Amino acid sequence: MEKITDYKYALDESSIVAITDQKGIINYVNDNFCNISKYTAEELIGQDHRIINSGYHSKAFIKELWTTIANGKVWKGELKNKAKDGTVYWVDTTIVPFLNENNKPYQYVAIRSDITDRKKGEEELKKILKEISDYKYALDESAIVAITDQKGIITHVNDNFCKISKYSTKELIGQDHRIINSGYHSKEFIKELWTTIAKGRVWKGELKNRAKDGSTYWVDTTIVPFLNHAGKPYQYVAIRSDITERKKGEEQIKKSNEKAIEHAHILELKNTQLVDFCNIVSHNLRAPLVNISMLVDYVEQSQDEDERNEVLGKIKPVVNHLMDVFNELVESIQVKQDTEMKSDHIILKDCLEKVLIGFETQIQEYDADIQIDLNQASTIYFPQKYMESILTNLISNALKYKSPDRKPIIKIATKKEANNAVILSVADNGLGIDLVLHKDQIFKIRKTFHRHPDAKGFGLFMTKTQVEAMNGKIWAESQPEQGSTFFVEFKPQNT
Amino acid sequence: MNPIKTLTLIDDDNIFVFLTKKVVEQTNLVDLIKVFGNGLDAINFIKENKDNVDALPEIILLDLSMPIMNGWQFLEEFTKLNPLIGKKITIYICSSSISHDDITRAKSINEVSDYIIKPITKDKLIDLIKTL
Repeated sequence: MEKITDYKYALDESSIVAITDQKGIINYVNDNFCNISKYTAEELIGQDHRIINSGYHSKAFIKELWTTIANGKVWKGELKNKAKDGTVYWVDTTIVPFLNENNKPYQYVAIRSDITDRKKGEEELKKILKEISDYKYALDESAIVAITDQKGIITHVNDNFCKISKYSTKELIGQDHRIINSGYHSKEFIKELWTTIAKGRVWKGELKNRAKDGSTYWVDTTIVPFLNHAGKPYQYVAIRSDITERKKGEEQIKKSNEKAIEHAHILELKNTQLVDFCNIVSHNLRAPLVNISMLVDYVEQSQDEDERNEVLGKIKPVVNHLMDVFNELVESIQVKQDTEMKSDHIILKDCLEKVLIGFETQIQEYDADIQIDLNQASTIYFPQKYMESILTNLISNALKYKSPDRKPIIKIATKKEANNAVILSVADNGLGIDLVLHKDQIFKIRKTFHRHPDAKGFGLFMTKTQVEAMNGKIWAESQPEQGSTFFVEFKPQNT
Repeated sequence: MNPIKTLTLIDDDNIFVFLTKKVVEQTNLVDLIKVFGNGLDAINFIKENKDNVDALPEIILLDLSMPIMNGWQFLEEFTKLNPLIGKKITIYICSSSISHDDITRAKSINEVSDYIIKPITKDKLIDLIKTL
């Protein structure tokens, strides 16, 4: 008997204890029960046990409890109860029915322990888990998501990833992430990405990827490394959004810009040509006209017949000169009108041979050495007529301005540029030009730099006009007494 | 009135040189007319005679468009040389160019007294020499 009292004491000390009759009317509560329910024993005794019902559990749940204990069986479970002040608490509950001689319960002993804190923690966790799954849902709905392990092997992809990459989940899982590599980005760029995330840092950038069908797409990408307890990444989550349209737009804008710049450049060139043209008219045409006018004036006022005849005789060459200049001008204007001129596929070797035939006598006479290297570019897309004229002028100059001290060596070569433009160079070992002195002048009309009887100052002007009419460039390098090299750049050869 | 000793023409235009010489001779104002066909020959002559003031001209008629060394390039060299010359040399640009750019550029050079557009008349020549 004493032992039972000890047990009861131990139970009262450790647990929340209540006893009800078979109808659920409370006839005993211990101090722990009063503490947690915030009722006094007087307030509880004689009350229906439902006084602490929180209304949280379903009817079915409560019914199952009563059915169990009414059948004389022990019920165990977690209950949410309500204290006097309206706050709720969770208790781990064991209800033991005490049976009479007919095996019917005549009272129920409910032993509870407070699990409010644990329950709160559980609810918190549940909430967080729900939140996380909501986030994941939102992310999967809105973004292109892939997860790889630390080696870049794909372990998860969402539907959006499959849609844009045109691979199925099955085809992707277990594959190296490089399966969608487009090869567009430089090695350095990719290395920088991996270095960043391997260090546990977030990487953000724009990537061009390749889909299964070979088409490419642009994605704005954020890669978040997930770190283990040692701070090392164990997986990478890549979140992307499709920016292909934007990129297309950007490329379009870039292209239009380039076009605009090209147009501006052409306009600038046309403007320079116009200024050149004005200068030619205001000087080169005007000069002989002035001469004629002065000669005529002189004749008019001269009293001496011999003198008159002498001066009259000077008019004819001036008129011829005027005619020459005028014809040159017309020729150069015609070039300028030929911007829509048809280009031909020129086999340079053939073209050069044809031009060189015209210089055969001079080459033999001067014992000139013509060296040709067309390995880098053997054809040029350009108007045949202009190409012949350009080669003729450049070779003619190289021979005309040879040094009296050495045999002429003329090197004709082609070079292919990265942008597919071709540069033709004609280098000689002749007299050379002082470019410091004549920099702006060498391609101008009627500008000559040597005391050569055949120097007219028209060849290079025409060459430049023809080159520029086809959007090419011409320039020269030269050292007096060492030789000159003329370069002609033909615009990128997109056939 | 003291006639001028030397007038120099720097011009590659034979007709202009021929006529100007004739006109200047008729004025009887100038003892000697020296002609250079380009700027380089002229500047070399001035360099060689920079201490020999008697050989240097009082007046230069300078063309702009010439081979080897044009008028502008001559003026550049002359500007460097001028402080070393013990004589005042008056330079007139005498060009057939009516380009506005040329005229403004000429006016901006201290060593240039005026820009004369060809053709140049006898009266104008006399005027130039007399106002010296």
